[in-house]
Amino acid sequence: MAVSFGIVGLLGTRLKKLEYGGWIAVGFAAAAMIVGLLVAAAEMLSPGSYTDQSFTWLHLPGSPGTFPNGFSLVMGSLVDPISALMLLVVTVVGFLVMLYSIGYMHHDHGLPRYYAELSLFLAAMTGLVIADNLLEFFLFWELVGVCSYFLIGFYYEKPSAASAAKEAFLVTRIGDVLFLLGIFLYFTVYATAGGGAGWAASGFKFVSGSTPFLAGAMGGNTPLLTVAGLMMLAGAAGKSAQFPLHAWLPDAMEGPTTVSALIHAATMVAAGVYLLVIASLFLGFTPDDRLAIVAVGGFTTFFAATMAVVHPDIKRVIAYSTISQLGYMVLGVGAGFAMVGMYHLFTHAFFKALLFLAAGSVIHAVGTQDLFKMGGLRKPMRVTAIAFAVGALSLSGIPPFAGFFSKDDVLSSVYTAAQSNPAYWPFLILAYATVFLTAYYIFRAWFLAFSGDKSRDPTLPAAHEGPWTMQVPLYVLSALAIVAGVLPFTPSFGSLFSLGGATSVPPTYGTTDLVLSSVSVGLGLGGILLARALWGNGRVYVLAPDSALQPMRTILLERYYIKAGYDWVGLRIVYGGSRVADFFERYVIDGTIHGFERLGTKLSNGLREGQTGLVSDYASYVVAGVIGLLILLLFVAPLIIASLGGP
Amino acid sequence: MTLPLLSVTLATLLIGTVLTFVAKEKARYVALATSVVFLLEVAALLAAYTVWPGPVNGSPGYANLESYSWIHLSWLSINYTVGVDGISLVMILLTAFLQIATVVYSWEETKEPGAFFGLLMLTCLGCFGVFIALDVLLFFLFWEAVLIPMFFLIGFWGGPRRRYAALKFFVYTHVASIVMLVGLLALVFYSGAKSFDFSAIYVAAHGLSPTVQTFLFLALFFGFGVKFPIVPFHTWLPDAHVEAPTAGSVLLAGLLLKLGAYGLIRWAVEILPIGMSHLTPLLYVVAFASIVWGSVIALAQRDLKRLIAYSSINHMGIVLLAIAVYSQLGLLAAVLLMFAHGVVSALLFMASGSVHHTFGTRDISKLGGITPVAPILATMLMVGSLASLGLPALISFPAEFTALLATWDRLAYWVLIPLVLLVVTAAFYLWMMQRVLFGPQRNIPEKAHDIPWFETAAMGILVALVIVYGILPGFLVNVIVNSPVYGFPGFP
Repeated sequence: MAVSFGIVGLLGTRLKKLEYGGWIAVGFAAAAMIVGLLVAAAEMLSPGSYTDQSFTWLHLPGSPGTFPNGFSLVMGSLVDPISALMLLVVTVVGFLVMLYSIGYMHHDHGLPRYYAELSLFLAAMTGLVIADNLLEFFLFWELVGVCSYFLIGFYYEKPSAASAAKEAFLVTRIGDVLFLLGIFLYFTVYATAGGGAGWAASGFKFVSGSTPFLAGAMGGNTPLLTVAGLMMLAGAAGKSAQFPLHAWLPDAMEGPTTVSALIHAATMVAAGVYLLVIASLFLGFTPDDRLAIVAVGGFTTFFAATMAVVHPDIKRVIAYSTISQLGYMVLGVGAGFAMVGMYHLFTHAFFKALLFLAAGSVIHAVGTQDLFKMGGLRKPMRVTAIAFAVGALSLSGIPPFAGFFSKDDVLSSVYTAAQSNPAYWPFLILAYATVFLTAYYIFRAWFLAFSGDKSRDPTLPAAHEGPWTMQVPLYVLSALAIVAGVLPFTPSFGSLFSLGGATSVPPTYGTTDLVLSSVSVGLGLGGILLARALWGNGRVYVLAPDSALQPMRTILLERYYIKAGYDWVGLRIVYGGSRVADFFERYVIDGTIHGFERLGTKLSNGLREGQTGLVSDYASYVVAGVIGLLILLLFVAPLIIASLGGP
Repeated sequence: MTLPLLSVTLATLLIGTVLTFVAKEKARYVALATSVVFLLEVAALLAAYTVWPGPVNGSPGYANLESYSWIHLSWLSINYTVGVDGISLVMILLTAFLQIATVVYSWEETKEPGAFFGLLMLTCLGCFGVFIALDVLLFFLFWEAVLIPMFFLIGFWGGPRRRYAALKFFVYTHVASIVMLVGLLALVFYSGAKSFDFSAIYVAAHGLSPTVQTFLFLALFFGFGVKFPIVPFHTWLPDAHVEAPTAGSVLLAGLLLKLGAYGLIRWAVEILPIGMSHLTPLLYVVAFASIVWGSVIALAQRDLKRLIAYSSINHMGIVLLAIAVYSQLGLLAAVLLMFAHGVVSALLFMASGSVHHTFGTRDISKLGGITPVAPILATMLMVGSLASLGLPALISFPAEFTALLATWDRLAYWVLIPLVLLVVTAAFYLWMMQRVLFGPQRNIPEKAHDIPWFETAAMGILVALVIVYGILPGFLVNVIVNSPVYGFPGFP
């Protein structure tokens, strides 16, 4: 299988730790991209096709218990419309980021490690995308997590980077164990239900069909199915940084900007959404699950956007924006339109990678991430300024940029769902409010960095554009950030969004849609205008020290104290608890037993004095000891047995 | 009659051990040669097992069975009976791998090399014997034969508090041994088996009343459990590890802990399933206590070896849990996890031993940023830690996954306890890596350099196992599920 070749090829770069290993990695990434494009093209030529190849990883023959027909775990590759689409995103962005790295990273030490880890990440991500069952999905899911751990901690000598890497691993781990519980639920509960026994024997594969497999097998709505769905949500929340497991993503910005663009914007964090899409298409969510998903997505969307509004760090603004946009995708899936979530995932991957890479160009040029030190970069960095603006317009949902189409599709899908379930209304309102905030914070960043005459910090070096390797990805991603939204309107590309029955991808733009879109575009434009009024032309808006908004600003800058709260729980409760337990261990458990030990010491004095170091002596002790013990027991044991009542 | 492969292997080890003792300065070559021959013989055993037709219906027959009358009395017959099944073969394979790795790792041991390597060999010989013995007396002889060399390894080659640790180890395990032996003897006499032979006991034990079975199981559980070790009889383990020489720690964690689990499966679970079913709640409580306690205490440790030791208690708790759920999936998981933990803990103890030689301390609060100084060592420690916290595609994952799945199957939401503790396990390993491997360099001695070739080679073998069996666990699974116990009537 061509895709497997792609994986092996990517792993190959781990072996080639050469000085110019970067170009080898780029070459393999290019090869993977070509494979990805071919797979997507093949899928478009025969819409809806479903190619599955697998081998058995672990097999247990049938047992009378839970798995009457046996139990298999398989590893396989599944190419269907959504995996082809996701593969396209991963390989294209992966290649562009690899290429960009050549220019961006050339000052750094440890480049072989960087390219090897990035290649391993791409391989693992490819594996995740084409996994044909939940366990394999989980396996690659953890592997991309560990690659993310390595890459966040790339500058491992920096304590903040080492700490951020640990935090990212741990927080996602919380989601992961719940995800694992969800897998157990699916594996055991459904293995005994309906056609589930065969499902267990054949390796719990994702099964193609018009209705989700388990919904069909179980009648679609049982408490256990709800719990399983919630566990999927927990896993997705960890990976996609949804509230309350969101705290790690802003700190993950300690990694190189390229890593942020690829892993923490376009691909890995979107894996959580991809999981929800897969779960909703193949396994099925109950109505309660969907409400929970909408609640998490809707709240996170707004919540993350508020923190982006005040942050002075260009990368972290974009990171909060990522959390917020992932919330939109989750919202779309939760509203019952999985492919709408995929649509936003697809466009977001391009415009968010673009924003990160443009920010990377800025950081590369001026050596700081502090927006308040920048300024006036429009003139020396025209390409970057335009690229960032394209990304920002797309993010703000201004037509005809890509973000407009997909974000409006999300909004209208929630609107549609709200018609039948009024509980969705609050989250629709939050989602609309976020449109305004989004446009405001991203253009605040643009104006702060690019507008005005000169930088606010005179010590910054004179800015310049990066080399061609950094500019080409900006051009390509800018183009994609403009056209990706309309691609699904073409019939062949649209077929990639067709899996799973009736969804409204691409949007149809009836009267209701037009009204909804006008509102969101109006909000977006309002946000841009407000940003321009406060920050345009090199202005810096300073909040009065006695302003009623100051406490609000502090709370936002402190991230609602949630990170501090987690740290407190980790340090005081968990670590403190373990110190107390350790004290108990040393002085109570061991102390009680010390009495026995003293007794033992006295009894064994002879043995200790006998430590002559001569092996023959020891050997004779061994023999004598064993024989003595045996004699003792052969006589004592019957007595004990007799005292117990006799045989 | 086919080749008595088990006896031949046993003889190889015996001769190798004796030669190692007398070879003095050349001991390491003899030890390595013996280990290689041993591994080849184990490979032959495995090959033979894959074509073994399986037990005759209804009997607990074992492959490569050899039986010679040893002591024959009217009321008791003691035999030299050896045989293997999938479970013991996996453990034997582990023994062979760890023996080679340990010998290579200790390549430049200079303090009494003859005795040192000889005792290492004797420990492995004893473990091999335990895994093949199907006679109570034979089993017990080998069981004790493991205990004593380990006592001397700790007491003579160990750290500053070695006397205390060796004695503690000896007293704990010896008390447990006695209880175990009494349990086994009582089993023989109560059941009226009139033989120390496993098959005879197995058949005779069916006639025992549930109450008697329960009491016998309890005695055996205590006897084997201390070796696990189970909370609250676990405090010998951290002390023994801290003071033991690295090779001793490796065998202690890699093999000796497995003896307890193996003994429990072979001599208690297989023979007394009804007794076990009456004690299941107790087993669950002890398993959960070990899982929670091991992990929580590990979080508070500063000594690298103590941290790994408590992590071992946590992992062996999961093994006990998987045994306690008593299902085909659970038993498979238990044996897989025994193998996985054997390899991973060996790797981690080697890495922490190398950290100690290279940087002069194992105190996590004093170490920092060792990666640029010793990149190979850092990689080994990282692979070990990631494997131990259950990263997929590494050896522990298939085992932990099946163990937890089996637990869910039987205990439903109680599985949240080990699941939550998985997060804690990840926490202390990640915290350790952050402190030791990353961050600014602290207290790096001037002459610190990366590890010598033989330490790299020894850990390299284990890393290869971690990855190979992590990606392809199917081989082990097929061997394990071919065991006779999978055909026992009433085994769910």
